[in-house]
Amino acid sequence: MVTPHDAGLAVLELKGIGKEFGAIRALHGVDLRISPGEVVGLMGDNGAGKSTLVKIIAGNFPPSHGEIRFDGRPVHFVRPIDARAVGIEVVYQDLALADNLTAAANVFLGRELKRKLGPFALLDHKAMAARALELFGELRSETRPHDLVRQMSGGQRQAVAIARTRLSNAKLVMMDEPTAAISVRQVEQVLSLIHRLKEQGVAVVLISHRMPDVFAVCDRVVVMRRGEKRADKAIADTSPEEVTSLITGAKEAA
Amino acid sequence: MMKKELGLFLLLAVISAITGAINPAFLSFVNLLNMANLIGLFGVFALGEGLVIITGGIDLSLGSMFALLGVIFIDLLTTYQVPWPLALLLVLMGGLALGGIQGFLITRLKMQPFIVTLCGLLIYRGAARYYTSDSTRGFGYGDEASTLSNIASGNVAGIPNTFIFLIILALILGVLLHRSVYGRWLYAVGKNEEAARFSGINTNVVIATAYVISGGLAGVSTVMFVFYTNSVSPSSFGNFYELYAIAAAVLGGCSLRGGEGSILGIVLGTALLQVLQNLVNILGIPNSLNFAVMGTVILIGVLADQQLQARRRRKAALAGLARTAPKATPGQGKQSTSTLSAAAVRTGTGEQT
Repeated sequence: MVTPHDAGLAVLELKGIGKEFGAIRALHGVDLRISPGEVVGLMGDNGAGKSTLVKIIAGNFPPSHGEIRFDGRPVHFVRPIDARAVGIEVVYQDLALADNLTAAANVFLGRELKRKLGPFALLDHKAMAARALELFGELRSETRPHDLVRQMSGGQRQAVAIARTRLSNAKLVMMDEPTAAISVRQVEQVLSLIHRLKEQGVAVVLISHRMPDVFAVCDRVVVMRRGEKRADKAIADTSPEEVTSLITGAKEAA
Repeated sequence: MMKKELGLFLLLAVISAITGAINPAFLSFVNLLNMANLIGLFGVFALGEGLVIITGGIDLSLGSMFALLGVIFIDLLTTYQVPWPLALLLVLMGGLALGGIQGFLITRLKMQPFIVTLCGLLIYRGAARYYTSDSTRGFGYGDEASTLSNIASGNVAGIPNTFIFLIILALILGVLLHRSVYGRWLYAVGKNEEAARFSGINTNVVIATAYVISGGLAGVSTVMFVFYTNSVSPSSFGNFYELYAIAAAVLGGCSLRGGEGSILGIVLGTALLQVLQNLVNILGIPNSLNFAVMGTVILIGVLADQQLQARRRRKAALAGLARTAPKATPGQGKQSTSTLSAAAVRTGTGEQT
């Protein structure tokens, strides 16, 4: 297991990231360093610049200023596919699953395994189900590959979405409010999924409004306010009260 | 997944049996072959319509496409004396091209499928009528395309070729839809286009391809209908046929919201529609009630399907509870209720099949 704050390479390094939309300054001078196996909570009020930052890292649009380094190399993403190619995956809030398909089908969506039959390539259902089962096992989720996503609980859906990121061996997984719309017990499941990712050396960025979740799984918390990074502290060195005052602006920076 | 098709098949069998019992002529060899011919004619383009509906779209232009491609086809063969293989090729290409244009407008220019294909319906019909000055086109006394005519309207050992074509095309499209990556993507795009796009699927290509396939199958159907009627009157040829296709697809389990449906379902849906039309004649029900009977059956069919699905979902939810509840709370009370509900599920699914 890789411990955070290892002196080793950062998986993601941002230097002076800024973004303007016309006259509106959405982000300004954001520096951020994330190590492998580190779970970083990204917090901030609506409009604080969290989503803009995530979208820049995910390649939805390029930053106006600054530099992104991934695995030690400078990277320039034009489209989300570029970010995915180097190993950045985003688990979206609405999960981006097709709920008329099975769990296995969703895990492999866009990356289906095929078997050749003469000149034709047919879906290899068996191999996909087996690999999906393996991935769910790794995540210690009881999700069954042949179940339709439509019939699943919020926690199981998260497991499917996270299994997708394991399939591509992502090095950085960003999760957008994964615990927003699910029951308490399922929140437990999702947090344990994050632990599984951490164990496997995957860096996780958890965007969340829920203070208890952030304090339960994160190594570090980053607070955004008005497009700037106001705090970047180890969880042990801060408290929910301090983070709240940073988010609201009662405390300017820490 | 197969429950819907099985239900539809049983419905088909029951209706056939009852009709046959009332009037044995329904099950006569001649009548069955006649129905097979009509199922073949109406099934081919229903398959294309089904694919389009699975993407969450709709194709309203099919009937008018038949008229336009039909008059061009006959004109090529009679007026211009084009050899039939070339004429056939041109008509098929024409269908693919019209489908391609519609697909382009829908995916690239982000227009709504209903509007694009509705305008197609109006434009193609108008073009066909203008091109022929509203006069009926037919074959003369010469045998311009007797070979093709024999292929399109002939039979093998009594089985109409149209029906054989339908089976072949259904098998091909069945593999495409249910066994290939393209089919998987079609379902994903139909249900959640955004999710498909996030997964790296080129959703525009997937959707446009469905319209192209639908257009191509419309080309095939045009040729079959032309040789079935032997003439094309541009103002009425193929009128409302797109609605038959939509009805067949919906009856066969396709959801107009996209992402649902199967090839087998569409074929069974077509068969059921044709059986209904036939039994109206056979049972001496006034012909004017034809559409009313069809509409009623579709309405009841879709309603029953929705109710069954809602019931199945409730059962599934209960089963989900039954699976997880004992683990979370090993209390005695919980456990007994969960085993109860599990038993209810078992009996429940038994009823449904």
